[in-house]
Amino acid sequence: MPPKRKTFGQVLREKRLAKGFSLRKFAELIDVSPTYLSLVEQDKVERPPTVERLRRMAELLEEDVDDFIALAGRVSEDLPEIIRSERLMPDLLRGAKGLSKKQLEEVLEQIRRMKGKEGD
Amino acid sequence: MAKRVAMPKRDTFLTDKRIEEEAALLLAEWAQKHGEVNDPPVPIDEIIELHLGLTYEIDDLRSRFHHDDVLGAIWFDDATIRVDQSLDPHVHPRMLGRYRFTLAHETGHWRMHRDRFRRDDTQSEMFDGEGKPSFICRSSDRPPEEIQADKFAGAVLMPRAMVYRVWESWRGDAGPVCVLDLEIPDFDTDPKRNQTIAMERFCKPLADRFGVSAQAMCIRLETLELLVRERPNLLFG
Repeated sequence: MPPKRKTFGQVLREKRLAKGFSLRKFAELIDVSPTYLSLVEQDKVERPPTVERLRRMAELLEEDVDDFIALAGRVSEDLPEIIRSERLMPDLLRGAKGLSKKQLEEVLEQIRRMKGKEGD
Repeated sequence: MAKRVAMPKRDTFLTDKRIEEEAALLLAEWAQKHGEVNDPPVPIDEIIELHLGLTYEIDDLRSRFHHDDVLGAIWFDDATIRVDQSLDPHVHPRMLGRYRFTLAHETGHWRMHRDRFRRDDTQSEMFDGEGKPSFICRSSDRPPEEIQADKFAGAVLMPRAMVYRVWESWRGDAGPVCVLDLEIPDFDTDPKRNQTIAMERFCKPLADRFGVSAQAMCIRLETLELLVRERPNLLFG
């Protein structure tokens, strides 16, 4: 059986302790109650923290903001607008679904090259 | 650093001196890794999670255990401390002292009682899959281990030397204060109760500095004989 993927709550607790923040101190820094933070760490909240709060958490823990937001099950606030901005954008995402991480990196590289040419 | 003296097994009696030593040892261990705590408040949240490595959670323990006076609980097998959400100092700032005291109290169970505790598997199924807590700590339930854990909490949050030092700088001298010299209200028909109210009022500024309740501060000051109910005998003074 493959190892069970860690939940957002488990990862958050591990990273927080690794940075030397107590539960109460970290809650204070992100302006939530320690009870709420504890429930997040126990994966007992119905809705994950807001994107703004996840961003602050990631900054304090020196983690990649997008990774952190994705792990928590949130979508970065700029994405809905990007998806709506161009009719083909949903097709692009649907088409990319199921590609491996390596393939996605190749697509991203291609996009960067295209954008680079645009800027020339 | 002081060496730990083995805790007696299968014996519910622990002397106050032994409890004080255990609290001092824990602070010495913290100091060795993180630096000495010279001023209050003692960082009990950090001691639990960063030094002892215990899992710490805040939860609705009152619903879970069906008692409306549950403050905290400890699971030795899971190395987990849980505190009831009614003590959350962010939501209820006035509960800060009780919150910190409960954390220190559960730490006392961890340090003094876990070697003597034997798991009772027959009752595990009663507790929603997370196992039976080793101790459920309630304000109305005071067996000997609970009293020992309270004494430990007092000693760890208000270390003897730190209290004497802060007392002296606060009062201007190291001498004790007699309750009879305080302004005693007449709220209650019981004079002792009125004395207690006067003592708690007096202790409040010090309690705030140590991050404990005025009640806990009073008990500690009485234990350290800085606050006395009767005038010292000055026969030979």
